[in-house]
Amino acid sequence: MSRHDISLTVNGTEHELTVEPRTLLVDALREDLGYTGANVGCDTGRCGACTVRVDGDAIKSCTTFAVQTDGASVETVEGLADDGDLDSLQAQFQENHGLQCGYCTPGMLMTADTFLQDAEDPSRDEIREAIEGNLCRCTGYHNIVDAIEDTAGLAGQSQ
Amino acid sequence: MSRTEDGDEETTPDGASQTDAPPVEFEEGPDNRRGPDELTAVSSREEKADARKIVTGEAKYTADYAREFPDLAAAKVLRSTVANGVVTAIDTSAAEEMDGVYAVVTPDSPEVPNDPYTSAGQSYPEPSPYDLRVLRKRVRYVGDPIAAVAAEDVATASAAVQAIDVTYDERDAVFDAETAIEPDAPRIHDPERVENHQPGADYERNIEAHAEGEIGDVDGAFEAAADRSDLTVVETEWATPHQSHCVGEPHTTIARRDQDDRYHFITSTQVPYHARRQLARLFDVPIRDIRVTKPRIGGGFGGKQSIVLEPIALALTMATDRPVKLEATRKEEFHAMRVRRPASITVRSVVTDEGDLEAIDMSVLTNSGAYGSHGLTASGAIGKKQLALYTHTPNIRLEMTAAHTNLPVAGAMRGYGAPQGHFALEGHMDAVARELGMDPLEFRSRNVIGEGDLDVASSILKEGDGEIKGGARRVRSCGLPECIERGKAAIGWGDVEQPDAPHLHRGIGAALTIQSSGVPNDELGAAHIKMNEDGSFILQTGAVDIGTGADTAMAQIAAEILGARPEDILVQPSDTDVSPFDYGAYASSTTYVTGTAVKKAAQDAREQLFDFAARMLGEPRDTLTARDGAVYAERSGESVSLEAIGYESIYGDEERAQVMGEASHSTPESPPPFGAQFADVTVDERTGEFEVHDLVYAIDCGTVINPDLAEGQVTGAMHMSYELAVGSGFSFDDDGQPEVVGFGDYGIPKADTQPPLTPIFVETHEPSGPFGAKAVAEIPTNGVPPALSNAIRDAVGVRIDDLPITAEKIRAALDAE
Repeated sequence: MSRHDISLTVNGTEHELTVEPRTLLVDALREDLGYTGANVGCDTGRCGACTVRVDGDAIKSCTTFAVQTDGASVETVEGLADDGDLDSLQAQFQENHGLQCGYCTPGMLMTADTFLQDAEDPSRDEIREAIEGNLCRCTGYHNIVDAIEDTAGLAGQSQ
Repeated sequence: MSRTEDGDEETTPDGASQTDAPPVEFEEGPDNRRGPDELTAVSSREEKADARKIVTGEAKYTADYAREFPDLAAAKVLRSTVANGVVTAIDTSAAEEMDGVYAVVTPDSPEVPNDPYTSAGQSYPEPSPYDLRVLRKRVRYVGDPIAAVAAEDVATASAAVQAIDVTYDERDAVFDAETAIEPDAPRIHDPERVENHQPGADYERNIEAHAEGEIGDVDGAFEAAADRSDLTVVETEWATPHQSHCVGEPHTTIARRDQDDRYHFITSTQVPYHARRQLARLFDVPIRDIRVTKPRIGGGFGGKQSIVLEPIALALTMATDRPVKLEATRKEEFHAMRVRRPASITVRSVVTDEGDLEAIDMSVLTNSGAYGSHGLTASGAIGKKQLALYTHTPNIRLEMTAAHTNLPVAGAMRGYGAPQGHFALEGHMDAVARELGMDPLEFRSRNVIGEGDLDVASSILKEGDGEIKGGARRVRSCGLPECIERGKAAIGWGDVEQPDAPHLHRGIGAALTIQSSGVPNDELGAAHIKMNEDGSFILQTGAVDIGTGADTAMAQIAAEILGARPEDILVQPSDTDVSPFDYGAYASSTTYVTGTAVKKAAQDAREQLFDFAARMLGEPRDTLTARDGAVYAERSGESVSLEAIGYESIYGDEERAQVMGEASHSTPESPPPFGAQFADVTVDERTGEFEVHDLVYAIDCGTVINPDLAEGQVTGAMHMSYELAVGSGFSFDDDGQPEVVGFGDYGIPKADTQPPLTPIFVETHEPSGPFGAKAVAEIPTNGVPPALSNAIRDAVGVRIDDLPITAEKIRAALDAE
C-alpha cells in the first residue's frame, strides 16, 4: 500500500508523519502522535466524540482521512488548557458538572469552543442546535448547555 | 397506611403468617444519623474526582492503553450473516496469507474453548444458562461470532475478516417471542448442549426460563368480580421494543500475557470479579492466573455487565502470544453486544367502586434473543419490582416466560426489567383510575405502599435458586407522598392551560416508580483504607466506577467518618489483583452496599487513629471526634491534626502501627428508592405530533451523598427513559437482518430533541443505608414511558400501549375512535 508523508501542526506543535491513504485523522492523532483525548464512539461521524478543529472548523476526525489534512493546523482537547490553566469552557464544564463518564466531553468541548468563537450571547436553543452532532448518554445535556451558556455569559462580561 | 395498623395479619407470598418478617425498627449503625448541619463531606457538591482529567482529555479509557504495548495486535470478528443455521465450511486460507495477519481463530482452533458459558456477568452460580460458545458454527442470529483475526492494525484485521469464506446451511428462523413458543416453531437450542438450565426451561418450546407466583387467590377474586356490580375488572396489554445502551465508549478489551505468564485484561467491564471467575472457568485457568483491571469506563448502563469480547481477545492472545486489543464497532454495539429485552405484558385487575385494588394478575413474555443472559432475573423483574408498589393488594399473581428467538441477545440494562414493567403497570393504573372516574394519583395513593409497610410482592416469584430469592421486605423510609405533592406542584397538576388553537390539546401524566438498592442476600462489597503520614488516605474498593462518579461518593463517605476532606481520600480504580472483592456495578448497589463497606472500613481506621490521638492529646478516647482534618478532644477543646497522627503512627517514639481499616458488607436488606414521574405534553390532533414541555421527576433516594452526581444520575436516566418512550426500537427485515446499524437509524435524543428534565430530590433517611442513603442509579429510568403515555391519554383521550410512542400511532388511535 502506498504511503504518504504529511505534516500536521497539532496544538501548535509541528509533526511529520507517514500515513496510508486509508489512515483516519483520529487514528493518526491517537495512535501515531499520542493525542488520545479525541475518542472514537462510532465510525460514521454521528456521535461527535472524535471532534477536533482543523484550520478553525470543528470536524469529525473519524470520517476524515489524515492525508486530507496535510499541512493543516489541528486543535484537539489537549490544546485548550494553557500550561495547566483550564480555559473558561473547560472550567465551566467542571463547575457545572457538565460531564459524567467523560467519553463525549473532548468532542463536546471542541464543538462548543468553535461555536462560541462566533456566537455572541447565544440562546439555549442555539446552543442545543450547535451541539446536536455530539451525543451524550450520561447527562441528559442540561448541564452541558448550562456550561456553554455560562462560558458565553462570562465572555460577554469581559468584553 | 400499613395493613398491620388496620389489624390485618401480615402474610408471606405463600400465605403463611409472617412471624419472621423484618422488623419496622432497624438497629442503625453508629454515626449513621447526622443532621444536615453536622455533615461536611457527605451531601456536599464535591467535584467529581476525575473531572479535571476529563476536560483536559487526559482521562484514560481502555483503548488509550494500547500505546503502552508496542507489539499489540488489533482484532476483528467475523460475524454470522444468517439468522439461523450451521456453518458447514470456513476457509481462512486467504486471510492467513495476508501481510500483517498474525492469527485467525475459528471454532476448531485449539485456543478456542468448546465448553458452553454464559456471557451474563452475574454472581456465582449464575442464574443464566451456559448456552454460548466463544466462536460458533451453529449460528443463531445475525452477528453471531464465527471467527476472529489478529493483525498489525485494524484495517488489516478488517480486510482479513472479509477474506474469510463461510458456507452456511441456513435454517428457518423465528423472530418474535409469541411465535417462538408455539409447538411448531423452529428450535433454537438443543437442551443436551446447554448446561446450567434455568427454572422452567423448555427448549422444545424455545423457553429459556419460566417462573410464576401468587399471593392470595387471584382466580377467586376474578370470579367474585363477575358476580358483583361493585367490582370492576380492567384488562390492558402492553408492548415494549429493543433498546440499545448506546454506551459512549464501545466495548473494548485488551488481553495480554504478563511477565509472570498470567493473563491480564484491561477491559471496559462493570464486573471485574465476575469476569475473572467466568473467564477462568471458560479457559480452564486458575482464577489466580487472571487479572482484570478496570480503567476509566465510558458508560455501562448494564451493557458492560457481560463478558462478550474478552474470551475472543484471550483466544487471540493465546494464538499470537501478543497483547490483543478488540473494540466493538457501533454496528456491533447495536446488535452483537447486549440489548434491553422486548416484552409483551398483560395486566388484569379487580378494583372496588371506592378505588381499592382487590386483585392484580400480570403476565409477561420477553424476547431473550438467541442466547440466555439475565433471562430469568430480568424478565422476573418485569412485574415483581413494580408490584411492590401495590403490595397491599390481597390477591396478586405474576407469571413470566423468557423466550429465545433469532434476534440479538438481551442482557442487563439500567432498570433491569423495571422500565418495561412500569410502562405496563403504571399505564394500567391510569386506565383503572379513569374507568372509576378518580384522579389517577388519588387512586394510586389509596393503594400504594408506605413507610413501615411490609413488601411481600417483590418476592412473589418462588422459582429457582438464582437471583430470584429473598423474602418480604420492610419499608423503613418512603418519601413517595412528598414526591407526589412536589411533582404535582412543579408540573402544574390539575391546573393545565389549554392552547388557544382548537386542534392542540395539552395533558399531564404521572407514574409512580420503585426500584431496589442492590440484590438482597446476593451482594458483597469490601473496602480497605490506609493512612499516609501526611494525613491522606488510600481507599481501595472493588466498586466499579463506570463513569457515574462512584469513586467520588466513596471518598465522601470515608471523609465524613475520618474528618478528612474528600480530596484527601485517594480512591484506587478496581483491579482484581489489589482491590477488595466486589460484585460489581449493577443493581444500583454501589452506594448502598459498597458505600456501607467503605463507611465501616473508615470507622475501623478511625478507631486506630483515635488510639494515637488519645495518647498524643492525653485524653480519653471516648471523648474524641474527627472533623476538619483533625481529632478533637471534647473536654479540653485541644486537637491534633490528621497529618500529625499520620507521622506519629509511622515514625513516633512509641509503638508504631500503620492505620489501616477494612470491612466487608453483605446484607439481606435492599430498601426501595421511590419516585414520581410527570410529563407535560401538547398533542396536535390533526397529525398526532406531540411536544413534551417538561419531564419532572421527584425522587426519594434517601440521603443524597453528592447532589451534582445524583442529579446527573436522574437526568441521564430520564434521558434514557424518554428514549424508550419515543425513540427506541430496532427493525429487522424478513431474514432477521438488522436495519438499525448506527446512530443515524436510531432514535437517541440529541441536545436539540431532548425535552427539559427537572429533577426534584425528596430526602428521607434510610436507617440501613450509609448516612441514610438509598440507590439512585436506575429508578429514574422507569417512569417516562407510562407518564408520557398517560399524558397523551389526558390530552387527546387515546392510550398508546406499544412503544415507541409516535405521531403515526397517535393519529391512528385517534382515527380509530
